[in-house]
Parts: sequence; C-alpha cells; structure tokens
Amino acid sequence: MTTTPPILSARDVHKTYRLGKVRVPVLRGAHLDVHKGEAVAILGASGSGKSTLLHILGALDTPDRTPSSQDIRFEGTSLSSLSERQRNTYRANRVGFVFQFYHLLPELSVLDNVRVGAMVALGLNYRAKRPEVTNHAAALLDQFGLGHRLTHRPAELSGGERQRVAIARALINKPDLLLADEPTGNLDRETGNSILDALEDLRARTAQTLVMVTHDPAVAARADRVVSLADGQVVEAGPAPAPAPPAETAHEPPPGRQRKTRRPPPQRDDARSTR
Amino acid sequence: MYQRLLTRRYLTSKVMPLLAALAVVLCTAMVLISWSVMGGFLKNLMESGRTLIGDVSINWPNAGFAHYEDLIQRLEAHPEIDAASPMIETAGMLALPGDRLVRVIVRGIDGPSYAAVTTYEDTLYWQPLEEPLPKDDARRDWRLENHTRWQRTFNNGLTLTEPDPATGEPRPAVVIGIETSGYNFRQPAGFIIPGIPLVPGADGVMGQLPIFLPDEKVTLHVLPIDSSGRGIEMVTRILPVANEFRSGLYEIDKQTVLVNLRALQSMLNMDEARRVIEDPTEDLSAADPFALGGDEADPNFEPIQRVEIDPARVTDIVVLGRQDDARLTQQYVLDVYTEFAAAHPDVPRADAIFIKTWEDQNATMIAAVKKETALVLFIFSFISLTAVFLVLAIFWAMVSEKTRDVGILRAIGASRTGIAWLWLRYGLAIGVVGSIFGLALAYTIVYNINTIHDWMGVALGISIWDPAVYYFTEIPSRVNHLHAAIIGLGGMLASTLGALWPALRAARMNPVRALRFE
Repeated sequence: MTTTPPILSARDVHKTYRLGKVRVPVLRGAHLDVHKGEAVAILGASGSGKSTLLHILGALDTPDRTPSSQDIRFEGTSLSSLSERQRNTYRANRVGFVFQFYHLLPELSVLDNVRVGAMVALGLNYRAKRPEVTNHAAALLDQFGLGHRLTHRPAELSGGERQRVAIARALINKPDLLLADEPTGNLDRETGNSILDALEDLRARTAQTLVMVTHDPAVAARADRVVSLADGQVVEAGPAPAPAPPAETAHEPPPGRQRKTRRPPPQRDDARSTR
Repeated sequence: MYQRLLTRRYLTSKVMPLLAALAVVLCTAMVLISWSVMGGFLKNLMESGRTLIGDVSINWPNAGFAHYEDLIQRLEAHPEIDAASPMIETAGMLALPGDRLVRVIVRGIDGPSYAAVTTYEDTLYWQPLEEPLPKDDARRDWRLENHTRWQRTFNNGLTLTEPDPATGEPRPAVVIGIETSGYNFRQPAGFIIPGIPLVPGADGVMGQLPIFLPDEKVTLHVLPIDSSGRGIEMVTRILPVANEFRSGLYEIDKQTVLVNLRALQSMLNMDEARRVIEDPTEDLSAADPFALGGDEADPNFEPIQRVEIDPARVTDIVVLGRQDDARLTQQYVLDVYTEFAAAHPDVPRADAIFIKTWEDQNATMIAAVKKETALVLFIFSFISLTAVFLVLAIFWAMVSEKTRDVGILRAIGASRTGIAWLWLRYGLAIGVVGSIFGLALAYTIVYNINTIHDWMGVALGISIWDPAVYYFTEIPSRVNHLHAAIIGLGGMLASTLGALWPALRAARMNPVRALRFE
C-alpha cells in the first residue's frame, strides 16, 4: 500500500432513498481511500449501491448527514464544505464521469460531445481557448481511434465507439480522477475488453487515477485494487483477483447503426502494478 | 458557450421547436396586421377629419362676429400662419329633387380662400380623373371621360357659383356632401354612380327619377338668428348645385351643404347692412333749438337721420398653420385674436371666443376610433398570450424529452443557472426566429393586403372590406415600424416567458435522477 495521503477518501458514507413511505438504505457507512494514480474497482451486485457511491464521490449526489458520518475529502478538502458553484467546478475540472449508457448528447457531433466538457468548464473563456481545446479534443479522439469520426453523430457510432467518445469527453479537462460507472456494462466482452484496454493504455501513459464500478469480477480484475460493496458497506478490500474466464452473458447492442471499432485494441500492459 | 451550441442544434434538429416558432410567427403576424389595418383606418379617419376644417378654427356661433376681414389680415400677417378663411355654420333644411327633404349643416364658405386653408379642392368629387381607381379595372368611373365637362363642374365647385344660363353671370351655388342626397351609390370598385332611386310621386306611386345633382337645383331653408339668439323668420332660396364633395368622413358627407359665403350671409342677415337711425331728440339740446328739428306737423319736417353700417359677420375663421403642431398654431391664433379683440370692442373677448384645433373638434370621433383600435389590439394581444402557453407546453415536453441531457450536462459540471439559461436562451431564440418571420409575414400581408383581398374575392368569393360599405376604397396598408418593433420584442418576450417555467424545472432537476431517466 502506498504511504502517500489518498487523493480521495470517503468515511462512513450513508445514503438512504425514499420510495414512497419506505426508506431504503443503500449505503451504510462505506469507507474508501483512493490514491493518486491508482485504479480501484468497486465490485458489487446490482442494487448494492456502487453507482450511488460513485455519484457521491463525484459530487453529483450528496450523502446523508448522520451523527456518525464523517466526510468525503478530495485532496484534503471536504466535499460537503463546497458551495454549489464549487461542486460544479469540481465536477467540471477535477473529475470526469464515464457512464454505462455513454450519455452522449445526440444532437452534437463526436467532436462537440468532447468539446462540450471544456465549454462547461471554461465558460466565456472557451472562445479564446477554442483552437487549443479543439486540438486537444481531436487528439484525444485520435488516441481512441476516432480521428476519422469527428463530425459523426453518436447515433452513427457503435457502442464501443460511443464509450470511447464518452471517455474522451471525461478526459477533456484533464481531470485528477476518472469515475467510470460500469463502462463495459452495455458492451459485449470483446468491445468491453477494448474499452478496458483503452483505459489501461491511458493509465500507462498518464497515470490517470481511476475509480470504476462494476458487477463483473473479470472487469474488476483489470484494476489495481478491488473493493466489494455489499449491504451498503465495503466488506472486502484488497488487490485485484485473477481475471475470470470470459463470460457469455454480455451482449452487443442491436445491430444496424452499431459498428465495431476498426482500431485493434491497445496492447495490455501485463506489468501493471498491484498494490 | 455550450448553451449557444445546444440552442443551435436543438433548433435545427427537432420538429417541436419549429411548432413553437410557428405559434410565435402566427401571433406576431396577427397582432401586427390587425394593428396596422386598424391604425391605418384611424389615420385615414383623422386625416379625413382634418380635410374641411384646417388646423384651428375660431368660432362664435349664432350671431357671429364682425370685422373678420381685419382678423384674417392680421392672421395671415403672422409668420407662423399660412392662411385663413371665413366661414358660417348654421343648421338648415335642404329640399332635394324628388321631394326629398333632409336636415343639414349649412356651411357658407369663400371657395378660393377656403381651398387655401383646407384640401377642399381635392374633396370636390366631380372633377376630371386621369387614372381609374385601383379596383376599377373596367374603367366605369364617369370621371374618366368627358374631362371638359368635369373641369367646368370642378371650377363651379371651387367658386361655389354657376353661370346664369341667361346672362352668363356667376350666380351663387351650393356644393353638397356626396352622401347627403342619397342619390349616389358607391360601387365595389370605390367610385360613385348617381342613382335613379324609386321615389313616391304626387299620386303615391313609386317612380324612377334620373337625378344627377350638379345638373339640378335645390331649395335651402335657413333660419336667421338675431344677436340675442332668437330666430327671425325662415329664409328660403333656390340654388343650383355646383358640385358634390367627398371628405372621407361619412358624418360630414352625409349632412353638410357648402354654400357661397355671400349668399348665406345674405340669407342669414349677416352681410353688411346700412342702418338709418332717426332720432328726433338728437341734438335738441344744441344752442339754437330753432335751427334744428322742427315741428312734426310741418309737411316739410325732416327728422334728424344718422346712417350706421353693420359690418358683415361670420361664425368661424378656419386657419392653416405653417407647423404640423396644431396646438402651437392654436396659441398663435389666440395671440392674434387678443390683439384683434383689443382693437374692436364690438367683437367677443379673447377669453370668451372658442379657438379649437381640428383634433378638439373631432375629439369624440377620434377617441371612439382610438378606443376601438385599442380594444382590437387588446383582444388580439390577449389571444396572442396563447403563444406563451403554447411555448410553455412545447418546452415542457421538450425538457421532459431532454431530461437525460440535463443530467449529462450537470454531470460534466454545468450549473443550475447554466441549465436554466440554456432553456431560456432556447425560448428566446425561438422568439427571435418566430418574431422575425412573423414580422416578415405581416409586412408582406399588409403591403399586399389589397391584392390578397382582391384575390380572395375572385377565387373564393370572400369580400371582407367592401368599399360600398366601408368608407375607404382600399384597406389601409401601412405598417408603423415602431409598432412592428414593439410587437417583435413582445413576441420574443412572450416566447422567453413561455420557456421560463420549463427552464426552472430543468434547473431544479436532480442530476442523478435525470441521468437515469428513460
């Protein structure tokens, strides 16, 4: 384990949802530390609260305030102490979200879907930095094998390509932390692996800190460290287990407008570190 | 910046915003068209109301006031006053050919000077016409032919005289409002054809009588009034009809007869009169009582006589100012009249005389039409509020449809204010697009409204603006650019307002729920 202070630490995180008159506790005192440059997988069954934890870590959602709850700190700063505006800035500049269903804006081109992250972050300054942002976005998309798809709309891309665009969008503002919610959950095994390879390739190049949520042990195994979430608590933490054999459960989205990437998946770095 | 990009993309990629824009287009166009037509109608009416009364009038009803020629000289000497003309206004009865008797307002005017103050020349209906009226495609207007005759009729109307058939000397005549007789019929093309009405004969049987008034004579009855306001004795005079006039104001044209000023002065005992005063008591107190006076029983007795001149009088002076502002002219007229009254003790005092602008005189009519215009505008504007609710409904549906987009934008750091601005800006963009196209549509329709109306008449048999019913031949087709700007801004504001609630709803969305929205 590293001895440097964690970039992100969550202590005793609680979250309860209300379904009519019924209170459904999702997180019941979850703890998590993430160190800089680390890839952490949060493994859990469906409904275990892993996405909720991810949203709370990304300041998209807020934890319950309970007498025992402590705080989520990013680089030592309490997220709960941030104003609404600071939380927006945190989401825009310090973290990048990648979602299971890509969540691209359908009216925008691939390039604009990536640039929109910079537009939000820069506000009126975007105009001055537009050429720089455009070059950066194009370079990111090129890295993910989408340099020839800049003007295409999301509907014209395959699932894997869409997810690559989503990753490029998440990276446009060079965030400290990448939060991926089931990034391969909507893809077949092969495409999913190509996404994971792309993330691994990115980490090899930039030491990008990554927190990834998944229900798939095989996907989790690609992380440096795996924490399991059950009954709203982190019940197990340790180094990533050996990859599981390929499952047959994943599926490719309906054919038609889906296209597989033409770019060969990046080479996996077998010498990735475990902590 | 992302708001600008998304607004552009949303505008061009969905049907619903086009529907919202269409609603704004139609409402904007509807309000501007109605305002333009009603405003044009009001303007026409006001211009017509000014036609025969100049800018300002000085009025002393009934007995009138003397020395008016001096007043006119003083007025015309003022640098801000262009011209002035005397006028008499009184009530009377007019017996028309065909035994028709109508109650009329009789105005005695001096044709040439009256034409200098008003647009009297233009109102004379029977005069040569070079080009047919816009809708008179068949050239059925009498005035297009036989110009020599119409020129003669026009000159007669201008001077309110007609040559005596026997001597050729000019004799006083009248000019009658085109609607007064009831013998003229407005055609759909806007011109007038003298009628051949069915009138009851002496035997009680209805018969037809071809009547063209400028070929006829009429009998005018007026009641002279003494200085105390009491009627003296009805005066009747048969006068030839020199022409007919059309001012554009139905009420004026329906009940007004213009008479040669001198003739009317004579009929009303308002012309210059020499008065011989006999006063046997005068100068009896002189030094030599025997040198003056005498014995009334003496057949050679001659009472002391004195001749006094009663100057001619008029009830009105109409004045044309050099400036457009009638109020200013009114002030100048008052200044001149004050000096005039000081010089003539026998005229009404300056603080008693009525000095009114043309707007004062038509105040009731103008106020009524203004109110009507405002009412129509209010109704259409109120109807146009539906655009706000239409935009609201469409935006509500769009925000629902774009819930996930809101979640995505929030996830990448967009603020609530930024999201609200995205939708407000979107509403504003729809308002701008809708207003621009709406104004363009309105301008196109208003400027071509008569052509469109004619086409509707031919193709669909629909005639909304019938010149035989409405007093103006054509539908007013002027657009006030200021009104257009106000309506355009209103359209933009309405659309933005319609987007406000959905924008606030989008801003308040929970981003996590928005992301999970399906």
